[in-house]
Amino acid sequence: MARQDRMTSPERMADLLGGRPIDRVPLFLFAKGFSAVNVGYPVASVVNDPEKSFRAQVWTQEMYGHDEEPRLSYAIYGGWEFGGEVKFPTGEFAQAPSISRYPVQSEADVEKLKLPDVKTAGILPLMMEFCRLQEKAGRPIVPSFESPFTTAGNICGVSTLCRWMLKRPELVHRLLRLATDHVLEMMRYWVETFGAERLRPNEGAPTESNNMISAKHFAEFAFPYVKELHGKLLAMGVKHIASHICGEQNANLPYWAQVPMGDPGIVSFGHEVDLATAVKYFGDTCVIAGNIQPAVIQTGTPEQVYQLCGQALAKAKYAPRGFILMPGCELSPLTPPHNVYMMKKAVTDFGWYEAVPSDV
Amino acid sequence: MASAERTQEILKGLREAVVAYDEEAAARLSKAALAEGVSAYDAVRQGLAAGMEKVGEMFAKHEYFVPEVLLCSDALYAGLDILRPHIRAGDASEVRKQIVLGTVEGDVHDIGKNLVKIMFEAAGWLVHDLGTDVKLEKFAEEQARTNADIVGLSALMTSTMLAMPRVIQMIKARSPGAAVMVGGAPLSPEIARQYGADGYARNAGEAVREAVNMLSRLGTKG
Ligand code: B12
Repeated sequence: MARQDRMTSPERMADLLGGRPIDRVPLFLFAKGFSAVNVGYPVASVVNDPEKSFRAQVWTQEMYGHDEEPRLSYAIYGGWEFGGEVKFPTGEFAQAPSISRYPVQSEADVEKLKLPDVKTAGILPLMMEFCRLQEKAGRPIVPSFESPFTTAGNICGVSTLCRWMLKRPELVHRLLRLATDHVLEMMRYWVETFGAERLRPNEGAPTESNNMISAKHFAEFAFPYVKELHGKLLAMGVKHIASHICGEQNANLPYWAQVPMGDPGIVSFGHEVDLATAVKYFGDTCVIAGNIQPAVIQTGTPEQVYQLCGQALAKAKYAPRGFILMPGCELSPLTPPHNVYMMKKAVTDFGWYEAVPSDV
Repeated sequence: MASAERTQEILKGLREAVVAYDEEAAARLSKAALAEGVSAYDAVRQGLAAGMEKVGEMFAKHEYFVPEVLLCSDALYAGLDILRPHIRAGDASEVRKQIVLGTVEGDVHDIGKNLVKIMFEAAGWLVHDLGTDVKLEKFAEEQARTNADIVGLSALMTSTMLAMPRVIQMIKARSPGAAVMVGGAPLSPEIARQYGADGYARNAGEAVREAVNMLSRLGTKG
């Protein structure tokens, strides 16, 4: 018979972040659309219906015995909040919302752009409602946003952002300034509402990947703002920031390693970044999470998933501040349940930190 | 009529203007080509397009990233706008090929698709860009409307990738002679074959070559 967990999920995460020993490697599923589908709700409900979203994620967490707190978040953060329009996913292959109209269409729009009201803008009222459910349930509260660079790309469109980086860098800096200040305002509102202690802010950073930009441009545009943002969040009393460093970011890692993440922070990676590399850059300050390729979890065999998880655990289980087994990016809603179970099976087979009771 | 030497100088200048993303030089040299009697067709093929091909290689080698490639394409278009109206029907040895291109329903990742589009336009193809989050039926409809040689499908997520076999079936049902090519990070040659696609390319730099090879493999219009 498989060994039983000796800690509840909240105990395990509290002790991991508190630097105390835990029973086994925690499991995060990065399962938003997947959770909705798992309980029979439309994919969109995970972002546009706080109650359904919370319930779907809690039930999925319980079903799979994973340790990630629910969240109401999307990678297109900024597009709606700064005055554009979004489309929620519909249709059988859809996974996440998209931007149907960018708030900034021209250079002149950048000048006119203002900081949105954090009480009413875009997804924020829904996120606040969601976080109140977390509060009521006595759980950690997870406000979510994207890095300043990704937010800037969501405000004007990534192609435009790319062109301006070379031709009109001052416009890009203005967007980055607004994106940074906006997230700070939003987080101040969250701190006032819930207190800093309970917040576990969650950030995604895909657009600054080296799939898109060079490390030189990362250093010039993305790095200074994300560093400032995190520094100020920690100064507000936030203890741990979870940052998803998405896609191919190997060349950016020396910069990311200088971004304060909390004590410890949580940094998660895609399959593009080797876990041994992640431990080398972040192991002393952050819990490392990742990096099972979501494509394999969706389309591979159970044996493949189990094997990848085993390899990941072998590489990173003993990272100095801890390791969390997690997909390299959001799970597709179409992922077969038995492959998701393989992740759970891998942590219960190879994730233990304690000796087997009979060995003692 | 420009001397052979001057012609070479202009062609080289056009190539370099694209690589250096110098829009102004690309436009200036395109006008010079016309004024000095260099064939517009040569100026496009051996100048601008050759430059863009080099850019595709640099992108594949991580010497250039998306911002650089987009500005190179702006220089390319600055020249094309000037030269294209002067290409005579008889210049090109074959009929201009056409591709319908789009990112499948549910998926909004468009940077890769846009780079593929640029490379096809640089190579002289007529591109019908359907954009992102394209309704599945739309691909077959657009192919039938334009009688395009190829339909190119892009997907960046494993979820949306699953729509591809269905789109391919729709296209083949309507126009058995149309060739379908797929691409995007989660795809591979094996998956492309499984899905019933006729071709696959790993990146924008290889896409046009693969398209041409695919057409000759299939022995269709190419
Ligand atoms: C930038 C990015 C974004 C941006 C996109 C901006 C835009 N306008 O495109 C934003 C922030 C909006 C975004 C959103 C999301 N993203 Co995203 N994103 C990326 C990232 C980091 C880079 C993609 C990119 O543009 N690369 C650069 C271009 C140049 O490369 P390319 O697209 O691969 O294209 C080349 C080739 O593939 C080929 N090609 C492409 N198309 C075609 C077509 C043909 C016919 C041919 C021949 C060739 C070809 O040629 C291109 C040029 O060389 C990738 C990481 C990755 N590994 O790809 C994740 C990634 C694609 N995203 C992912 C996810 C999960 C999401 C979200 C669901 C996240 C969320 N939680 O909401 C949303 C989905 C939104 C939606 N509804 O579609 C996952 C997908 C996982 C999966 N299921 O497979 C990835 C793979 C990240 C990961 N490591 O797992 N994302």
